[in-house]
Amino acid sequence: MTKYSMYSKMIIHALLRRRSRMIVALLAIAVGATVLSGLITIYYDVPRQMGREFRSYGANLVFIPAGSSQALAEQDIDRAAGLLPRDKVIGIAPYLYERVKVNEQPIMAAGTKFQEVKKVSPYWQIRGKWPAEKSSGVVIGQEVAEFLKVEPGQSITLAAGDGTEQKVTVEGIVRTGGNEENFVFVDLPLLQKMLKKEGQISVGQVSIMATEAELAALSKNVETQVTGVSPRLVKRVTQSEGMVLGKLQALVYLVTIIILLLTLICAATTMMAVVTERRKEIGLKKALGAENRSIILEFLGEGLALGGLGGIIGTVLGFFFAQAVSINVFGRAIDFQPFIALVAFVVSITVSGVACMIPVKIATDVEPAIVLRGE
Amino acid sequence: MFWQMLIGALVRQRRRMFMIALTVALGTSLTTAMLNVMLDVGDKVNRELKAYGANITVVPKAASVLRDLYGIEANSGASAQYLAEADLGKLKTIFWAHNIVTFAPFLETKAVLGQGSDEVVLVGTWFDRSLELPTGEVAETGIKPLKSWWQVEGDWVQDNDSEGAMIGSQLAGKLGLKTGDDLDITVAGGEGKERLKIRGIVNSGSAEDDQVFVPLSVAQKAMNLAGKVGRVEVSAITTPENELARRAAHNPKSLSLKEWETWYCTAYVSAIAYQIEEAVGGSRAKPIRQVAESEGVILQKTQLLMLLITVLSLIGSALGISNLLIAGVMERSKEIGLLKALGATDAVILWQNLAEAVTTGIMGGAIGYFCGLGFAQMIGRSVFGSAVAINTMVIPLVIVLVILVILAGSIPAVRMLLSLRPAEVLHGR
Repeated sequence: MTKYSMYSKMIIHALLRRRSRMIVALLAIAVGATVLSGLITIYYDVPRQMGREFRSYGANLVFIPAGSSQALAEQDIDRAAGLLPRDKVIGIAPYLYERVKVNEQPIMAAGTKFQEVKKVSPYWQIRGKWPAEKSSGVVIGQEVAEFLKVEPGQSITLAAGDGTEQKVTVEGIVRTGGNEENFVFVDLPLLQKMLKKEGQISVGQVSIMATEAELAALSKNVETQVTGVSPRLVKRVTQSEGMVLGKLQALVYLVTIIILLLTLICAATTMMAVVTERRKEIGLKKALGAENRSIILEFLGEGLALGGLGGIIGTVLGFFFAQAVSINVFGRAIDFQPFIALVAFVVSITVSGVACMIPVKIATDVEPAIVLRGE
Repeated sequence: MFWQMLIGALVRQRRRMFMIALTVALGTSLTTAMLNVMLDVGDKVNRELKAYGANITVVPKAASVLRDLYGIEANSGASAQYLAEADLGKLKTIFWAHNIVTFAPFLETKAVLGQGSDEVVLVGTWFDRSLELPTGEVAETGIKPLKSWWQVEGDWVQDNDSEGAMIGSQLAGKLGLKTGDDLDITVAGGEGKERLKIRGIVNSGSAEDDQVFVPLSVAQKAMNLAGKVGRVEVSAITTPENELARRAAHNPKSLSLKEWETWYCTAYVSAIAYQIEEAVGGSRAKPIRQVAESEGVILQKTQLLMLLITVLSLIGSALGISNLLIAGVMERSKEIGLLKALGATDAVILWQNLAEAVTTGIMGGAIGYFCGLGFAQMIGRSVFGSAVAINTMVIPLVIVLVILVILAGSIPAVRMLLSLRPAEVLHGR
């Protein structure tokens, strides 16, 4: 017992007596640990966050009617949606397509839920505003607007094939550069009622955070469990996402490794410098009859204590750094990862231990007289 | 005397100086690598995002409304409804020509396959064509580079293969066709039957799976529209849009002259579309928002992320370097105490130390710069498969940073040095 209390006393005193030097070493280790824990947290979190950003490309899974049928039942879509992981789904937008007459001109109408469209297709540029839910407001495509010469706020008349007419207000004009510009978008229940197709839709667009493999598994699951729905991957979106996201991950990975390597070497050199300075002390101890082993143990104890303290400080700072990055870049907070904290802690202890062992080993191998003479 | 002392110190304390040089070299290489990667990452990621395909479509001015709304195919050869194939090369002559990665023309019509099947969409296009430009350069164009996500079973059709065709996987499944089969095609309204051979089956996961693809010249002949194109899809590298670009997209004429110049000379998707309209007669170029907007979002996020990581690594290496300098001064406190006791002024000691630090730092920095370039290339090669552009702007930036860090890092060391009391230090406290 007394042996250990002497040991810890020596270490604590060595640390306290040489305050300024120890602060320098502690700082070096803490910087290393900050970079370490911050970067690993970012590396761990980037794929998830980036995956969410990639959802701005819109739907990556579509539900179409199975077999030769032309329509999907709304409850089938709801059942299929129930099979998808809730926290990963960004939005599910149903569409019912039918040719109608707008101001006596034949134009494609799409019935949909605007709330979901906003989530699934964030790239829609709306001039005017989105219609309120369950209103008779519509959004029309840019091409249709030019063709009919209508502006937001004006009203138009929709007519179904059997002559049912409905007066609606144009709330917004959408620009996408794609096919959407040729459509009139109407609230889904309104169009269903006009066309007497209650409960029917043509397509369901799903935007969900998942890799291509996960999507394939999900769609297989939906296909077998919900008859009448045939899920299909939007290859252009899923495949490209996999490719680009993979590259981004590899980028962050490599950058992380390089920064870590260099920072840890940096921390280690400082640590070594601090220990090298004490060669005389080692020589003196040896001259007084200390064994190499006890000298090494003492320095190792100091190194580990410094490494542990620096590791804790660095882990905490690193988490805050990662948090700041995540909030600034992605606008979302991240969770504390105990595993990463543990890794950062262990690595900083190891690095500081190794870094102080190297100079001690060199000093203990030299004859005390030479060291004490200062060569 | 100063020089003698300086050189003497450098040589005598080889080990310590080596450590400082090493740390500076590490810090510098980190800075160099990160700055180079950060400055180039936008361009690199932008190229990767081209995997999402075209971000601009070019359509004839008059046709867009009519054909899209009514499905009317004016086969009468009204020239306003089509673009001229000969004009395509002009796409690569606009101000931002280098930003146009690739493009492909399309000419679509309805056709009947075999004996009285349903009507399908027949698409004439370029598959993989090296287009010679008026400037003498060669541009890689066609759907092979444009639609990188296509999975093709069999072969791509050659553009000069007047009998080749590719067929969508859904359609092939429906009709029970496979690679190598013959395909009889009757174009809607036309009388002649074309006999084609299926070279490959396309799986794209979209409406294209129900279409038939043939070389552009075949479609032009069948439709009797020599030299005409219905639509061009362009994939261009663009700058994320801002407020100015959005205003310009609505109406370029609403900008002041200065704003207009800024807009025109920036690679906004709307500016490139505008320039395409200028270059190709009777055309209308529309940005595809799905691709253009998302690109902007992802680019900005990536750049910001890299910027923050770079800043972190810079701070880390700065602290590391300054830390080591402090440790160095501590180590030599006795020597400095002796110098002071012998009557050296503070200024002399200061100069001596700074000169040592800067000399070692410069040597370390030079080595570090080249190591950093190596790291940057390593990242570029393994992640993006291409070299990272070496930005000369980084060199002065790194020099200034290294000197600043060394000087700033020396401040605590210098303060310590000046406050040293010879008697105390020599006494060994």
